[in-house]
This record gives sequence, structure tokens and C-alpha cells, in this order.
Amino acid sequence: MSTHQYIDAFTRYLRSGDPSAMAHFCENASHIKRLAVYRNGFYKGCVDALTANFPMCEKKMGRESFRKMARLYVDHFPPEQGTLVGYGENFPDVVTDFMSGAALENKDTLELTVSKQSTAHLYVNLTDIAHLDYAWLMSLMSADSSEILTVEYVAQLMEQGNELTELSVKLNPSVLLLRVNDEAFAEWISLKTNSNDVLSTEFSTSNIVMLWRLQGAVQARSLSIAEVALMQALQGKSGSLGEAFDAALMLDENFEVSDAFTACLQNELLEIENI
Amino acid sequence: MKGNKLCSPQHIVAGEELGAGLSLKPEHLDDILALPVKKPSSHHNLWFEVHTENYFVAGGPRLNYLRAVRENYNLSFHGVGGSLGSDHQAMSAHTKRVKALIDEFQPTLVSEHAVWSKSEGKYFADLMPLPRTQDALQSLINGIDCYQSGIGRSILIENPSNYLDFISDMDEPQFLVEAAKRSGCGLLIDINNLYISSKNTGIDALNYLTQIPADLVGEIHIAGHDPDPALGQSLLIDSHAAAVAPPVWTLLEQALALFGHRPVLVERDANIPAFDELMSERQTAQDYLNQCELKKSLNAPYKELVR
Repeated sequence: MSTHQYIDAFTRYLRSGDPSAMAHFCENASHIKRLAVYRNGFYKGCVDALTANFPMCEKKMGRESFRKMARLYVDHFPPEQGTLVGYGENFPDVVTDFMSGAALENKDTLELTVSKQSTAHLYVNLTDIAHLDYAWLMSLMSADSSEILTVEYVAQLMEQGNELTELSVKLNPSVLLLRVNDEAFAEWISLKTNSNDVLSTEFSTSNIVMLWRLQGAVQARSLSIAEVALMQALQGKSGSLGEAFDAALMLDENFEVSDAFTACLQNELLEIENI
Repeated sequence: MKGNKLCSPQHIVAGEELGAGLSLKPEHLDDILALPVKKPSSHHNLWFEVHTENYFVAGGPRLNYLRAVRENYNLSFHGVGGSLGSDHQAMSAHTKRVKALIDEFQPTLVSEHAVWSKSEGKYFADLMPLPRTQDALQSLINGIDCYQSGIGRSILIENPSNYLDFISDMDEPQFLVEAAKRSGCGLLIDINNLYISSKNTGIDALNYLTQIPADLVGEIHIAGHDPDPALGQSLLIDSHAAAVAPPVWTLLEQALALFGHRPVLVERDANIPAFDELMSERQTAQDYLNQCELKKSLNAPYKELVR
């Protein structure tokens, strides 16, 4: 018996639940059902991780429905790294497939489909809520900013006679922009804040939500079209503040540059690239 | 790591200042930071162990709270996703992340498991058993070599919980001791795993312990277990979700008598109680360590008599 053959057989068991390939590796045939401890441990670890990574999805669906869907996800997308931190990258897509009735043809799916018909309200906005949960996690675990642009630093630059519009900045690594519908965002906030009613927020027409980390806690708000233009101009690559605000003003000539800049500083959204 | 064979029991030296430790849980952070660490106290040799892979993050509060704990306490990094027994081609990306954490946090102890968890590019998120064959032994040794080379220091490997027996060429102490001697790693003896294995597969736990050379043992784990929901007491599960059971405490006492003072970790990963409750359990472990030290000072030949 080679270790390779043993691990291949064990892997087939873990993926399928059929222990027959493992029979000749076990000393006591009557104990083969005990292999279930390992398979249960695998699924429990993964499903628990998905529960932790998609808490508002679980809250909306209820524990049992969520765990069934999570198990399906594990079947189709088992982890590939030696960690469950960040596991579930494709979970929102699986939710979408499930909502559209595509793929995932198996017994569990059929049971979920029957369940879905009787509890359709549980699935409204679910894909967007999954995207928001995952973006929240990614923002929380993102790299720390190298050098945040602070009020004090800006004051110093101004004292030195530097032109702020020429300052080269970019968004800090925790800032994420996400396209979700406004209703889903409001419901996600409501779930997170334990509010019974869906909050009425001041909706924009951009359908873009920004998430960022401030003092270790993730924040989220919907953006106006002009704010989206501002953030997109600063995302990923560095650019001058002046160019970014021009992008916003092109979409909204009444855009309050001063207020937006102050908000960026207060929320530690910008990091200095160079002067 | 061919050039890093142990010539002296450095695992023991590394941990000799550690007493009884606890699994670090985020919900206990405020309690931990409130402990009076500045003045000598009963907590002075308290330390904390984390699952290394839980800190595979780029930044943010998770690393910050570990930094806050590290300011006052020694740490142990306990890997659960290294898959020493299989899939070694994926090891370097994993150990690169482990090494980055080690470089920053300088843990006193680093450990992994004598198991496999990766195959065909998938990670099975649990500790899968290896058959105790010569072929699997070589695979494990290769994995330990890769891991130790990747992080630049030697590690401890932990005995698994066994739920059934697989075809094997040797018993577990032989398997682990051989792996340690040929790779230069040390051993982490999990007393709860050993107790569970003894009940599930009928091995003699005390005989197992007597086959382990003391100078290979760098750390001891204890934890709670639960009966299998379907099979009851005939199959014990390593749940880490309950208090340490009385027979595990007894086995710990026997292990300390054989191995001498070693860092003892009280593991808890589910049904997490209040911090005070865990500290009380940790104090029991510390009492066993103190008792072990007392016996050592009162009766130097004690170990030899027991052996």
C-alpha cells in the first residue's frame, strides 16, 4: 500500500461519502463507519467558517437553511489554501446560481428548492447581502495603510505653501467599492444593527456602496454618483487630488469638494503616495 | 531540513520558562489585557497558543490584538493547515506566511500535526490520519523537512486523535519518534488525543507514554472530549468543547512524572466559557506542574524510578 493510494482513496471518501475505497486500508472492517468523524469534521469546519464569514446571510436565511446551502458550496468549492480565513470567495455566485435555479443538481438542491418555494422572502436580496458580508470581511482583514493622510499633515503642507490639488494620494487598502441595490444595502444594515424594520436611508442612484476600516471597525455607506467618480479616480493607482475632484465635479457641478475632502480625512480614506 | 538535526533538546530549552498556557480566544482579549502582568504573580508563566493560520491576514484588528497580547506574554504558534503528510508541493506558499508571522511575533514554540489535510489541490480542513507505514513515515519526514526549511526553525509535531486503526507497520510512538529523530523536530504530546485513541482503539496510554523519550517532548496539550452523538462512549470525539475530563488529568500527571516539567496547554475551541473559568482550569494544570517541580526538587531520582 502506498501513501499516495491511501490518500487518494481517503480523498474520494471525503468528497463522495462512499467509504468502499477505504475498506482495505482499515484494520477492522466494522469500524469503517467511524470514518464519518473525519468527513463530518471537514464539513463542519468549512460550514462554520462560511457561517462566520457570511453572518448576515445566515441571519436572514436562518441557521438550518444557511447550513444546507453552505454544505452545497463546500461540495462545489472546497477550500484550496491551508486556512479557512477568507473562505467563501465564490459563495455569492453560488447564491446567485441557486436563486436562478441553475446548476447544483443534487438531492440537497432539490430539498432547498422545495424549501425556497415556500420561503421565497428569505432569498430576496440574498446575493447582494452575501457580497456585502464578504466585502466587509475583506475590508476588515486588508493591509494596514502605509501612511494615512491626516488633518495635521494637510495643515503642515498648507503652512509650507504646498498646493493641495497637486498632492498625490490613493485610497487606503481597506476601501472597497461594491455595486449592490439600495434595498439590499438597507436590509444588510438593518440585519447588522438588529433593527426590525428595513432602515430608510438616503439612497443615491449610483448603487455603489463603499466599505472601509476606521480604527479597526468596518464602516459602510452608499455613495452619490459624484462620490463614486471621486473614489474610482483614487482607487488602485495614485493620482492627484485635483484630478480626482475634477472627476466628481464633472458629474455634479454642485459637488462640495471641501466637505468631501474633510470627510476623507476624518475617515482616514486616503494614503499619501508622494508629494 | 537536513542541516538542522537536533543535537540537544532545544525544544525543551525553548519552553522551560513556560508554565500552563491557554488557547487565545478573541472574546477573552479584554480579560487578558486586564491581568496584572507587571508585577510577579501566579500568572507570570502564563502563555497563549494560537492556530497560526487564523492570522493569515494582511492587516487589521486581528493582528493588532495578537500584538497587544504579545507585549506581555509568550506565544505558541500551532499550525493546523500545513499538511505535513501530503501535498508538499504547496508547502512553500504556506510556510512563507507562517514565517512572516514568526518573524514578527517570535513565538516561543511552533508546532504542527503528524497528519495530512491537503490532496489534489484541496484543503480538507481537518486532521486526517496517516497510515503508520514506512512510506507514510518518509512522506511525513519530507513534509517536516519542507516546513522546517520554510520557516527556518525546528517544530514540534502532535500525535493525532485516532478513531479507528489503519493498516500499519509500526505503532504510533515508534512512528512519531522515528519521524522526530530523522527530521530533527520534537514532539507535542496531546494527552487528550492519547486518551481518546486509547479508548477508541484499545491501546495502552501509559505504555505509549513510556515509549516516548523525554528529551523529544517540547509541549503537552490537554483538552475536553465528547462522546459521538450516534455511537456514544464507544467513540470519543476530540471536540475541545468541554472541560478536561478526570482521566485526562490523571494521564497528564503520569506524563509529567515521565517527562518532567513541560509547557502544558489547556485547549478550548468551542463552547468557550468565561475567561475566569478557563483560568481556573489552567490553574489546575499549573498545580500539576508545580507538583512535578516539587517532586523533582525533593527526590532527584524520582524520574528514574518511574521509568
